[in-house]
Amino acid sequence: MAGQGIQRRQVLRILGTAAAAAQFPGFSRWGFACGHIGNAALQIKPGAYAPQFFSAAEYATVERLTEIIIPSDATPGAKEAGVAEFIDFMVANDPDAQYGFRTGITWLDAYAEQSTGKRFMGLTPEQQTSLLEPLGFKDKARPGQDAGRRFFAMMREYTVTGFYTSKIGFEELDNPALKFYAESPECPHKDDREHKHLSQAKS
Amino acid sequence: MANQIYDVIVIGTGAGGGMAIKTLCEAGLKVCALNAGRRLDPEKDFRYHRMPWDMKFHGLDDPKRRGESFGYMDNEYTKAAWDHEIPFTTPPGMKWMWPRCNAVGGKTNFWGRSSARFGDIDFRAASLDGCDVDWPITHDEISPFYTRVEKMIGVASTVQNRPSNPDGSYLPPFKFRCLDYILQAGCDQVGVPYLPDRCAQLTQPHEGHPACHFCGECTTGCDVGSFFSTPYFLLPKAEATKNLELRTDALAKNVLVDENGQAKGVAYIDRKTKQEVEVYGRAVIVAASCIESARIMLNSKSRHWPNGIANSSGQLGRNLCDHLYGESARGSLPQLLGQPSFPDHVGDSTIAWMPRWQNLKDPHEEKFIRGYSVYPDGGCEEFPGFATDMDGFGSSFKREVKRRYPTPVSFGIQAPTLRSDTNFMDLDPEVKDPYGIPVARIHFEWDENVLKMWEHSKQVCAEVLRAAGGELEGTGDAPEIPGFSLHETGTCRMGNDPKKFVTNRFGQTHDVPNLYVCDAGVFLNCTDKTTTISILAFSLRTSEHLIENFRMGEHKAA
Repeated sequence: MAGQGIQRRQVLRILGTAAAAAQFPGFSRWGFACGHIGNAALQIKPGAYAPQFFSAAEYATVERLTEIIIPSDATPGAKEAGVAEFIDFMVANDPDAQYGFRTGITWLDAYAEQSTGKRFMGLTPEQQTSLLEPLGFKDKARPGQDAGRRFFAMMREYTVTGFYTSKIGFEELDNPALKFYAESPECPHKDDREHKHLSQAKS
Repeated sequence: MANQIYDVIVIGTGAGGGMAIKTLCEAGLKVCALNAGRRLDPEKDFRYHRMPWDMKFHGLDDPKRRGESFGYMDNEYTKAAWDHEIPFTTPPGMKWMWPRCNAVGGKTNFWGRSSARFGDIDFRAASLDGCDVDWPITHDEISPFYTRVEKMIGVASTVQNRPSNPDGSYLPPFKFRCLDYILQAGCDQVGVPYLPDRCAQLTQPHEGHPACHFCGECTTGCDVGSFFSTPYFLLPKAEATKNLELRTDALAKNVLVDENGQAKGVAYIDRKTKQEVEVYGRAVIVAASCIESARIMLNSKSRHWPNGIANSSGQLGRNLCDHLYGESARGSLPQLLGQPSFPDHVGDSTIAWMPRWQNLKDPHEEKFIRGYSVYPDGGCEEFPGFATDMDGFGSSFKREVKRRYPTPVSFGIQAPTLRSDTNFMDLDPEVKDPYGIPVARIHFEWDENVLKMWEHSKQVCAEVLRAAGGELEGTGDAPEIPGFSLHETGTCRMGNDPKKFVTNRFGQTHDVPNLYVCDAGVFLNCTDKTTTISILAFSLRTSEHLIENFRMGEHKAA
């Protein structure tokens, strides 16, 4: 680690003091791939995770829900990012959150059985999605499902938190945090300061 | 060594103590500095560019510990740097949040870096509006010290010619982001200022310190020293003189007095051995931060000073002021929907400010007296907080998070309380810390004036956001708990009348001429500006006054 620190400081010294570097076009918004300190023990190893809190069946449900909330589509989603592992780990360390998750999963299975005769994980992906719509979309809400809506909101909050603090989540947003710049980055639209005429980027 | 008598004992190594230590050592005085915590190692103790996924809890901290967390800077990235072994109490019904960094350098390791000068509108506020008393100093007197501090630490800003904000000597400012130009246009319509903040962050190499690399994680510690902190900027200069002995894990307990009741040293607890140790000096500077300094002085009881040292006025610990912090308004800028991600967070929230615009011409123009400032912020931050309570799920949800990522904005208020008889600290008559020392008891509530500012700011910020073409999502429900800003002032106020003030206009205690205070305790109130640069400027002035007193023979050199 110490070696890396010195190397980094050298790079920064070059960035900070060499005026030429700031003028080199390739460096104008240069983000140095800093090779941050990675803790190998904490890296996600797909397929090898043993849940600490959830039972195997509960864990499968949690993982499926994360995948429905942030799916793989044009870009990787919550499953690839290992968000279920993050949730299991956080809940295992947070006694206050455990009751809500456990009863929430139970509620979801009861709701699925009542609606379709099968538990949640026994349903097709389409059935799962349509079952969740009244819980996840305000304008599709149905009365009498407050407990389920609260559980889904909590699942969504944990999924969002786990996903956008993962490397895959950072890449999804092209997160500019913790990159290095040679000078204070500036608005690129100074001819349109009120930003009324920006070209609409991909929606 | 055991019986060595130093010229000066300095308690604390934060902004006030650090400046005193450097100034005194360079003048050739022998200094023993006491610091309650340890030295930090930036590589181990600072964030050091670790990504959330490098952290066990993704930076969110252990849920079991989260309830005990004290404020926004004490988190999983820096958890060993903040130290809350010493408790404090509040009377029933009152709340106080008190993040403390006892490490060498104190809170300068993690501070917010906004660095506006106090002005005559602050020093002469009482003459203008009839509330409280004027400061015993003018901007003309303190201005040269501010200028020297600005050159020493490097402050990025522009000359702004605002009546409430004297200009200083500045490095090039941070450049405006998209959201700044949009909000600035809104401010123009509403008629409030939107300008580059005074930010002590090096936009270019300065005095041997590297320029900022704009990673945006300043409040978890800068690992290259591109913003002012005493361990990077002041202590190395003091150590180079060989006049400094810095004792760490040395928790100051009380100021020792001689047979005449004058300061002769400090008793401290060595936190490693848990033993009490005495260290002697010709003069003592207390710079342990506003409340802690007053606690040490109140705990310094002797037959000369039955109510605490230098407290013949009874004002020690009184007059506590603090900044009300809170999110006045929040919303989004639809102009930026779907735009590419942009490094909006490079200044870690201090790129722009809306400096005090109220009560400038007429001190009674508004329903409140004095004024407040606002810090706008937003854009692409490290975590898309808005997404945790967004509606829906699936690919549309994921796309919407990305689309909205550059758009959030918020306005944070910084508003000063007025001096009152009911906001103060004293010693808890029962509770003691693990070393048997009585703890601070903090009595504090927001006053009516500051709450009017809070209401006013909600209206104005909402108006600015709408004028900028933004969508208002809400105005603040409640301000933060008192103490959150870390800008407490007033426990050792300076003034010319020894019956009414603890310290004189130089920060020297009226009762004990060889005892000085070098922190925000000497300020009469907290104004609408942040405190650190003023602590540095006032400490520099106090330290030079002390050196002059040595030269004149008032304090005998060791």
